[in-house]
Amino acid sequence: MEREPATAEEPAPPGRRWRRRRRREGRKRTVRSNLMPPPGAEDPAAGALRRQCGGAQHLADNQLKTTKYTLLSFLPKNLFEQFHRVANVYFVFIAMLNFVPAVNAFQPGLTLAPVLFILAVTAFKDLWEDYSRHRSDHEINHLGCLVFSREEKQYVNRFWKEIRVGDFVRLRCNEIIPADILLLSSSDPDGLCHIETANLDGETNLKRRQVVRGFSDLVSEFNPLTFTSVIECEKPNNDLTRFRGCIVHDNGKKAGLYKENLLLRGCTIRNTEAVVGIVIYAGHETKALLNNSGPRYKRSQLERQMNCDVLWCVLLLVCMSLFSAVGHGLWVRRYEEKKSLFDVPESDGSSLSPVTAAVYSFLTMIIVLQVLIPISLYVSIEIVKVCQVYFINQDIELYDEETDSQLQCRALNITEDLGQIQYIFSDKTGTLTENKMVFRRCTVSGMEYAHDANARRLAKYQEADSEDEEAVPRGGSLPQRGSIGSHQSIRIMHRSQSTKSHRRTGSRAEAKRASMLSKHTAFSSPMEKDIAPDPKLFEKVSECDRCLAVARHQEHPLAHLSPELSDVFDFFIALTICNTVVVTSPDQPRQKVRGRCELKSPVKTIEDFLRRFTPSRLTSGCSSTGSLATKSTHKSGSSFLSTLSNNSTLLKLEERLGQPAPAITSNGYSSGADGWAPERATREQGQELEQVQEQELRYEAESPDEAALVYAARAYNCALADRLHDQVSVELPHLGRLTFELLHTLGFDSIRKRMSVVIRHPLTDEINVYTKGADSVIMDLLLPCSSDDARGRHQKKIRSTTQNYLNLYAVEGLRTLCIAKRVLSKEEYACWLQSHLEAESSLENREELLFQSAVRLETNLHLLGATGIEDRLQDGVPETITKLRQAGLQIWVLTGDKQETAINIAYACKLLDHDEEVITLNAESQEACAALLDQCLHYVQSTRPRSTPEKTAGNMSVGFSPLCSASASTTSDPSPSLVIDGRSLAYALEKNLEDKFLFLAKQCRSVLCCRSTPLQKSMVVKLVRSKLKAMTLAIGDGANDVSMIQVADVGVGISGQEGMQAVMASDFAVPRFRYLQRLLLVHGHWCYSRLANMVLYFFYKNTMFVGLLFWFQFYCGFSASTMIDQWYLILFNLLFSSLPQLVTGVLDKDVPAYVLLTEPQLYKSGQHMEEYRPRTFWLNMADAAFQSLVCFFVPYLAYYDSDTDMFTWGTLITAIALFTFLLHLGIETKTWTWLNWIACGLSILLFFTVALIYNASCATCYPPSNPYWTMQTLMGDPMFYLTCLLTSVTALLPRLFFKALQGSLFPTQLQLGRQLAKKSPKKLSAPFAQGPLPGETRTEPSEQRSVSTSGSLSRDCTLQVSWHAQQPACSPEARGEPSMVDVSMPLREDPLLEGLSSQALGCSSQEEAILEGCPGDSKVKPTNTSRTALLSSIFNLPTFSSLNWISSLSLVSRLGSVLQFSRGSLQMDKQDGEFLPSPPQPDQDLKRADHGLLLGASSRDCS
Amino acid sequence: MKTTPQGCQSRLPDNTALKQQQLPAYRLQLSATGVLSGFFATGVFCLGVGIILILSAKSIKEIEINYTKICANCAKLRENAVNFDKECTCSIPFHIPETMQGNVYMYYKLYGFYQNLYGYILSRSNSQLLGTDVKDVGSCAPFRESHNGTPIAPCGAIANSIFNDTIILSYNLNSSIHIKVPMLRSGITWWTDKYVKFRNPSSNNLSSAFAGTTKPPYWPKPVYELDEEDPGNNGFINDDFIVWMRTAAFPTFKKLYRRLSRTQCFIEGLPAVTRFRGEKSVVLSTLTWSGGRSLFLGLAYTVTGAVTWLATFSMMAAHLMLKERKMFFSQQ
Repeated sequence: MEREPATAEEPAPPGRRWRRRRRREGRKRTVRSNLMPPPGAEDPAAGALRRQCGGAQHLADNQLKTTKYTLLSFLPKNLFEQFHRVANVYFVFIAMLNFVPAVNAFQPGLTLAPVLFILAVTAFKDLWEDYSRHRSDHEINHLGCLVFSREEKQYVNRFWKEIRVGDFVRLRCNEIIPADILLLSSSDPDGLCHIETANLDGETNLKRRQVVRGFSDLVSEFNPLTFTSVIECEKPNNDLTRFRGCIVHDNGKKAGLYKENLLLRGCTIRNTEAVVGIVIYAGHETKALLNNSGPRYKRSQLERQMNCDVLWCVLLLVCMSLFSAVGHGLWVRRYEEKKSLFDVPESDGSSLSPVTAAVYSFLTMIIVLQVLIPISLYVSIEIVKVCQVYFINQDIELYDEETDSQLQCRALNITEDLGQIQYIFSDKTGTLTENKMVFRRCTVSGMEYAHDANARRLAKYQEADSEDEEAVPRGGSLPQRGSIGSHQSIRIMHRSQSTKSHRRTGSRAEAKRASMLSKHTAFSSPMEKDIAPDPKLFEKVSECDRCLAVARHQEHPLAHLSPELSDVFDFFIALTICNTVVVTSPDQPRQKVRGRCELKSPVKTIEDFLRRFTPSRLTSGCSSTGSLATKSTHKSGSSFLSTLSNNSTLLKLEERLGQPAPAITSNGYSSGADGWAPERATREQGQELEQVQEQELRYEAESPDEAALVYAARAYNCALADRLHDQVSVELPHLGRLTFELLHTLGFDSIRKRMSVVIRHPLTDEINVYTKGADSVIMDLLLPCSSDDARGRHQKKIRSTTQNYLNLYAVEGLRTLCIAKRVLSKEEYACWLQSHLEAESSLENREELLFQSAVRLETNLHLLGATGIEDRLQDGVPETITKLRQAGLQIWVLTGDKQETAINIAYACKLLDHDEEVITLNAESQEACAALLDQCLHYVQSTRPRSTPEKTAGNMSVGFSPLCSASASTTSDPSPSLVIDGRSLAYALEKNLEDKFLFLAKQCRSVLCCRSTPLQKSMVVKLVRSKLKAMTLAIGDGANDVSMIQVADVGVGISGQEGMQAVMASDFAVPRFRYLQRLLLVHGHWCYSRLANMVLYFFYKNTMFVGLLFWFQFYCGFSASTMIDQWYLILFNLLFSSLPQLVTGVLDKDVPAYVLLTEPQLYKSGQHMEEYRPRTFWLNMADAAFQSLVCFFVPYLAYYDSDTDMFTWGTLITAIALFTFLLHLGIETKTWTWLNWIACGLSILLFFTVALIYNASCATCYPPSNPYWTMQTLMGDPMFYLTCLLTSVTALLPRLFFKALQGSLFPTQLQLGRQLAKKSPKKLSAPFAQGPLPGETRTEPSEQRSVSTSGSLSRDCTLQVSWHAQQPACSPEARGEPSMVDVSMPLREDPLLEGLSSQALGCSSQEEAILEGCPGDSKVKPTNTSRTALLSSIFNLPTFSSLNWISSLSLVSRLGSVLQFSRGSLQMDKQDGEFLPSPPQPDQDLKRADHGLLLGASSRDCS
Repeated sequence: MKTTPQGCQSRLPDNTALKQQQLPAYRLQLSATGVLSGFFATGVFCLGVGIILILSAKSIKEIEINYTKICANCAKLRENAVNFDKECTCSIPFHIPETMQGNVYMYYKLYGFYQNLYGYILSRSNSQLLGTDVKDVGSCAPFRESHNGTPIAPCGAIANSIFNDTIILSYNLNSSIHIKVPMLRSGITWWTDKYVKFRNPSSNNLSSAFAGTTKPPYWPKPVYELDEEDPGNNGFINDDFIVWMRTAAFPTFKKLYRRLSRTQCFIEGLPAVTRFRGEKSVVLSTLTWSGGRSLFLGLAYTVTGAVTWLATFSMMAAHLMLKERKMFFSQQ
């Protein structure tokens, strides 16, 4: 706050420029203008000089430096980093050991060679990466931007890196923001600026930023020289969604700063001609860079296992060395007394004691046998993984045409984990569903509008879609492509720039993708846009429109409407304006339809002219004349007005409140506009062109729901025409353009679960609050209506029917939103505003205050209606889920949606099956949850052994077994599914219950967690991961899935409609859920199998090779002598035998893709770690030992009695080893491509070439082998070839034999799959290339489902009827999934319950008729399982609590074991006259808890 | 505008066989017929080669005369290092039962002599042996210099322990007439060893070339006096020396000593065998294309062939037995 004094710790030189200082408390940063002359007079030139010298040193400048090394620090730093790997340290240790004279086994330099090679390769890779970072840094640092220069008193071009905190930066449209900048001025008259944050979070919709309050209304253009205020804000942090601070003006006035004032580095200015701002955070302190964390390092399970086996190898190495050492000691002792001729004494003639010799031998042996720990293993694995990632990225079948994106692997080292996944945790919205919200139906003031035409239209889309998929690539942008026009070129040019500069904030690919997407407006596919209106409702809306058009000039126009029509009108107004949708026109993408900057462009068409000068900008009043306002008059007019309403909104408000209602400027219709609008309206109707123009308005919404609602309203001719920060215009056919003054927007947040706008209605001049939100929340906030008067009763009825329909929507899997309205009196508003403004300007706990303020506003609402939005399942989700389950994966869906919707989607995507049981776990308290878990466990255990239910007549327990499983195919798994809601989940995740919960969940086929928070999601994943020791995969698309994605072993992000946060956090990013199938079943399997086999092969290879050396020790007195030339020994792994195994590791396909897809159970081999488990490892090692024995002793015996010399024989052994390795690899390789042949050929060629050259190169070099002409001589000897042949064949015969025998006697699944592939070559590959089969591409959300269930329907009903003869209402329409049937009905003996149960049945059907026919309609409707508690709390009706438990009882009673208790308790309770049941188990402690106990085999009993 | 359609598909991966991992591939199928025929063919091949090898090895005539015990007295004498230059002879009469045709080679064979010890094989100086620098004894520890500091030529443990028995073959017509069988000392080394790796230091006179060096401690005479008969076979390029310097792979080895014709032999002057607990033999042998007399390779081939056949039959049995079961599996 206080001005920067020359503080002691940082001596400020005279003339030091203003700068930020970290206060001692370290909480805030203060920013002042760089242009302000400091207290001491300062020579500008000196200032400039200092500027070049770097200015304030502790201030982060805007220079980007992401390089890790400098020229000097590279070597030490890189080496230091590399030695963090234990393996490297080990290898260096071995190499160093070799320098000790007594133990050296090789030429000291030689052992160092491979280590140095590995280190050098890694260092080079790091260096290259660092260099490319440096280059891109340099590029970014030298981007230009306009910075205000004090010397030149104007904006001059400077590089990004020269920007300092406190500089004034001027940005033009489409420029990228170079630092975090506080917006001080905008060319937009309203002080707005739009930015695109695609580079930051991938969201392509425009965000609005606002000039700091107080600067927005400046008279003239902003002059940085006059800026004297001090900005106080938070220290740099990485929270993109928060910025707090305040600006202190010279006069001591404070104004709050919010995130709306901050332009973040990396974003792009859109729609705004120019903005000016002051730099707050620069360079590495910007939020974008603080958010950018490096790539993640995960260690795969296979690698962990491998490391364990490496330890075994170390043990083996030590054992071998020890054995050798002991042997050598004994050998030395044997020859101790008599010096033999071959004895090599020490230099002084004495010989070593056996013990010393043994110790030396031990160390030397460690060096000699070091090959056992494969130095190249780690490098090879890295290479293989990189290649695997590359191939996954390149897979054309993982390419999504619609979004032009393919799968991205963001984590390089866990590809093989994909083949071992056991649990999948999936988000629902956007992951299983498309997150393309389509308006389906709505309820207005208690009337339901079914929108049948719309449903038909959607069905058509689905068909069209599936046909499209088969046909040519569809280019999702087709409708808009024609309109991109000239703007395109600019954008393209610009895009290349933006992609370059934002490699920091996300990967290049993401930036590119994001910019790709930004070409098209999000959430605006034809399916989402073109909504077929319901004729009834359309008629009503038109009527409203007509009436109002007539009555507009009267005192209370709305009063002429009937309450219902008034509600309809309000409903659509709310749909249209209660959002944050930005309107753009396709002509000039991302340009506002009417911005002032646009006025500068010449008028192009008459339509343009008309549109542009339609009186609509009424707040400022400048265009109210409707004339061709010139630029200058316009400007002066606006600025005049803005001066008028300068600075304080409160002032403005008071002013306005004081004004008589219909009087002037600030509300909807100015007098000048009157003449215009109707005229225009008529002209418009005549002009098709104009219509087209209007049609093409594009809505850029932050969430798909909003877009859907706005498009829906447009279908009813209630079109959102324009949105500015202070006004919203709505276009109606008769009324023309209605402009609402937008007073406040209270944004959506997940705590409130609603959003509101406060507007001034142009017709009534009332201040209205429109609120839209989750039904559960809105229903609580409604104005309590008394049941005394008729109106109240009517309201109540409306509410209850609405609630009914809401439930119905939920059952259909629609997303429901309630729309409500509140009319505020001016006094109320003023009162609220006062507190709201206080809240806004407070620095401390502002969020809290704003929340409270919002809560104060959003009460006493009047319910208008509700909407049902459909979120369609993504293509191929049911098929994918089916396949994944066949593959043995357990799929858990964790969603924030409510239970009914979630369950319905779960059915639709075949997560839940109609003929399986569903256990629903809804507990209200910890104890209840514990009890329920116990019951469920008991139940599950009791039913599990029974594969088919025993249907003994008269036994009540019949009802508790799955009804249809008898008729269902015998293959179906009898295990039930579990549905748990968020609250119960919270209890279940408690320490004492988590084991039970997990145990239960493990028994279940699938688990569905509804209403779960992001934290719970991650907790569930963590629990499963840690307790079950299972491999987990989490997939999600939104920010709420990030924590879950991060916790899971493998995180998969869907690059969907909700931005890129999930992708950023993920290891793999897929465009669609269905790609998961191929990713896991094909690539996961391949990666795992390849890597497992490669690792095994590596161990085999090294063990076998080391074995050869070890056996030789028996023939050289354990003297650590090696018959193989040192160079071969060192190069063998690196050079001769590495390539073929790499090729195999990268390209081998044990089973072809189409077989893997058709036979998902093959995936289980990876889950069970069949290819790489301890047993296979040791078998592999045993085989290696055997092969080394063969490879040693066959040549040994063959050359036993010959005059061969040591190194000639050693060369032979090397050749044999190479041949054996290659043949072994040949057996292990399942597919031989030309690459394999080449690699093997090259390997052999390389060995012989190198050997020949090496052996011809030097006559005296390379002691001790001195191998001059060895290879040449050897190759002239037929024995060489004969031995090679025999040895290789003999070594591999057993392996081949056993493999063949096992393959024909006990073939594994994989081998069967391979046989299948052989039998049906490529037949199946075609359909799978296209993903799911066309016939079964999609599950139709409702129609098909009902058809599909109809088969089981009759069965259910007969069963049901036979039990409940008093229930004739069981219509065929009742969607009779067996789980739905309420088996507890016979219990309901009193009339109330009777009605209840019929209701339960009735409302479970889709048919309205039944619903209406239900007795006691309004009273009993809230029997909804999840809603009960809520409603009872609303209405405070004692009966509800009873209903609550009854419904819970009905659910409970599906559990056979529980039934008897419950029944008894019911009777007991009836005697008591209370509805407090005794606990279902004799556990007395649980009595209290049972009140809120909800447990069911199905949650669909009545929903 | 044109960029748009391309841009739309910009991320479409190339549809090449390699990138899509659809390279034409041969699948190694361990199918019954394939494996059986493969095994069968291998068996046939191995048996064939084995029989050929056995036959060819059988054609080799080889006589081994172990003289360790017979010449034990000489060995005893030599155990005392002082007597190293004393002559000691012993003779062993033996009979060659059948005619040895073609080239006959005489080997000496040592049992239990570890020429492959790690320290042992290191102890030589290649540059000295190449004649470039006679005094380069750097890598020869511990036999680098004599006690007075003169470098040893040839230095090192290998050279020091040279086999220095002289074996003479003579044909006994009767008890009195001994015809010395002519022996060829040449042609027993690798050509490259004799002419590339081993060179005498350039000088007119060999003894002057080796001036300033001393003989290895175990040697009776200096290196330039190794072959008294052929002055060209002295110094480092002495064939016996070169052969010895090529260290044997196993503790039991034979080394080519002479090429000769048919005969008897005399043996004299041996190193003390007892000092290395080994044995010494003289081997007379002919050679064929497949090397020496060792039957092992032929037998190994035969056995492998037989085992392969056995495996073939057992697999065939299993296959036939489980034919039905296999059908079931493949239908799955």
